[in-house]
Amino acid sequence: MSSFSPRQCLAVVSVILGAALAVPAMASPPQLAIVLNSDEGSLSIVDRQSMKEVDKRPIGREPHHLMLTPDGKELIIGSTATNELTFLDPVTGEMRRRLRNILDPYQLGFSPDGKWFVTAAYRMNHVDIYEAGEFRLVKRLPLHSLPSHMAFTRDNKQVLVTMQGSNQLVAIDLATQEVAWTADVGEAPAGVYAMPDGRRVLIGLTGEDAVAVLDLEQKRVIKWVVTGRGAHNIFRMPGDETRVLVTNRVDGSISLFDTTKLEVIDTIRAPGGPDDLDFTPDGKQIWVTQRWRRRVMAIDLATRQIVATVNVGRSPHGIYINGPGTVSRSMSPPPEAADPRTAQTPPKASFLPQILAPLAPLLR
Amino acid sequence: MQGLIDTWVDVQSWILETAVHPLLFRFGYMTFFEDAPFVVETLMLGVVQIAVILLVFRPLERLAPAEHWPDRKLARVDVVYTLLSKLGLLPFIVFVVLYPVNDWLQESVRDYDLMLPTVEQVVPWLRDKPLLLFATYFLLYDLAGYLLHRMQHAVPWWWALHSLHHSQRQVTCWSDDRNHVLDDVLASFYFAVVALLIGVQPSQYVALLLVSRLVESFSHANVRFGFGRVLDKLVVDPWFHRTHHARASASKPHIHDSNFGAVLPVWDLLFGTAVYDYKRRPTGVDSRDADADNGKGWLGQQVAVLGRLGRAIIASFRPRRLAHPAE
Ligand SMILES: [Zn+2]
Ligand SMILES: [Zn+2]
Repeated sequence: MSSFSPRQCLAVVSVILGAALAVPAMASPPQLAIVLNSDEGSLSIVDRQSMKEVDKRPIGREPHHLMLTPDGKELIIGSTATNELTFLDPVTGEMRRRLRNILDPYQLGFSPDGKWFVTAAYRMNHVDIYEAGEFRLVKRLPLHSLPSHMAFTRDNKQVLVTMQGSNQLVAIDLATQEVAWTADVGEAPAGVYAMPDGRRVLIGLTGEDAVAVLDLEQKRVIKWVVTGRGAHNIFRMPGDETRVLVTNRVDGSISLFDTTKLEVIDTIRAPGGPDDLDFTPDGKQIWVTQRWRRRVMAIDLATRQIVATVNVGRSPHGIYINGPGTVSRSMSPPPEAADPRTAQTPPKASFLPQILAPLAPLLR
Repeated sequence: MQGLIDTWVDVQSWILETAVHPLLFRFGYMTFFEDAPFVVETLMLGVVQIAVILLVFRPLERLAPAEHWPDRKLARVDVVYTLLSKLGLLPFIVFVVLYPVNDWLQESVRDYDLMLPTVEQVVPWLRDKPLLLFATYFLLYDLAGYLLHRMQHAVPWWWALHSLHHSQRQVTCWSDDRNHVLDDVLASFYFAVVALLIGVQPSQYVALLLVSRLVESFSHANVRFGFGRVLDKLVVDPWFHRTHHARASASKPHIHDSNFGAVLPVWDLLFGTAVYDYKRRPTGVDSRDADADNGKGWLGQQVAVLGRLGRAIIASFRPRRLAHPAE
């Protein structure tokens, strides 16, 4: 502790006190990152000023992802092996309540209109649609195999789920809760991002080195853009619809991707199989989980340099950075209308017939 | 301690990032991507265990052997078992058995609108006490091992498999892994289900595996000392397990039906199968068929045991004829 400055000590103490006693109103909220250690059933509280793990708390087993409720008042964690959701205070990380009997809540999502809460059960191969207010299960759709990530179409009509095991994108109608259509997209599709134009989606192909661009009207992939081996998840830059970040898990890099030109602008070195990430409130840093390295790293977006790595628990997956002005960034974009300024003319369609899609990496 | 963990994680990451992940990617096995760290770690644990055997257990065997042999010819094949098991077979079996069983079971149960109970639901007050939870896992896991071992001795066809473990006349610190492949598969399946039911997490499974496997390797060591008359009631030591490997004699025909415990003798004490007489006995089996394993190589033993298994299964279908051979 001797190396801590008084200010850091204060921050640490206030975090611990805040957790233990739930101090009702703190002068300035602690700057925290909440990290889910998926292989040890715990969450790490990292103080962003001292860059240290200040607390580790047990939570349901195999917690993978977390996201804010649409009103921003609660942070939801899905514990997939204990089949439950845990609700935290999004400022202090303090636990508020648990919701049982939510089977394998691997990936979580609220439809932009706030009506539906959807979970994708990666191990148990189903997608559950809940009525969002009461978390009442409305429909369970068994889907093989490995439903992994989701995005909602901007018109609130469909939820799009990637099937990492069967190389498909499945579109589910939220009104009827039936599968509307299915498209083959490429090897091991993971992250999926609905473009602001409402017409296209980006899909990270973890079994390939590219992001697939799928046209929602044609219901097929119209273009592939190489990002890096093991392209995985896609994150919208806060306040900027024209750029997203793509994590490339095998290459250990993050691609800065222009959604208007559909091209990679820059590649950031991010070793350790970058998985989920979140942005600091000032938008200057990203915090990225390094699964097997058991660390999180903070990367400065201006210099593209790793400014800190922090030891956390085993297999850190979901990460959340507390406010102020925090929006849920861990998955689909927050509710907002499509911005007409960012609408783009569609790119030239690929000459590859769909049947050749699996061969795409070879033909490129 | 943190430095040690850092080094461990760095080595694991290096193996994953430079070899395993690029290979999985290259050959299109990215669905195994998330499981790879666990497999690599199990492999690394195997290396650590082999190092401990070589650097600690073997010198102790040289220093204070329980039995003096003119050579260690018969013991040599057990080195093959250990290498295969710790560096190949075990991580592989954990990989192919543990994960799919878990997922398949949960999915099947779901289809009947049921849910597997979790430890957290059965004993809610345990859920926020990770150390106590781990102790509970350890106890239950070891109990499960004890029960499995009793079945291996009681069920005729299973004994046919397990007799390979007992046929060794030169029991050494390499002998723990001397098992038939089929026996390994069955045990892995069994432990996978147990681990699933009691909710062992990967981080705990790794610790569980390391501690229990090291104790088990040492309990086979050919050394003439134990942990003392107090500690040997708490942890299985070479004296205790050597009695389990003792060759049956006219005066003690069921000596090997004792001391089944893997890590904790408490189950033997509880179920009345503990023998603490500190007598030095030769090891092996009093069956000519199984004793013939000695002198065979790995493959020869695997095949011979399959023959024994087949005969045991056939015999179990004809209980009367066996009971009345005069018929
Ligand atoms: Zn035995
Ligand atoms: Zn033994």
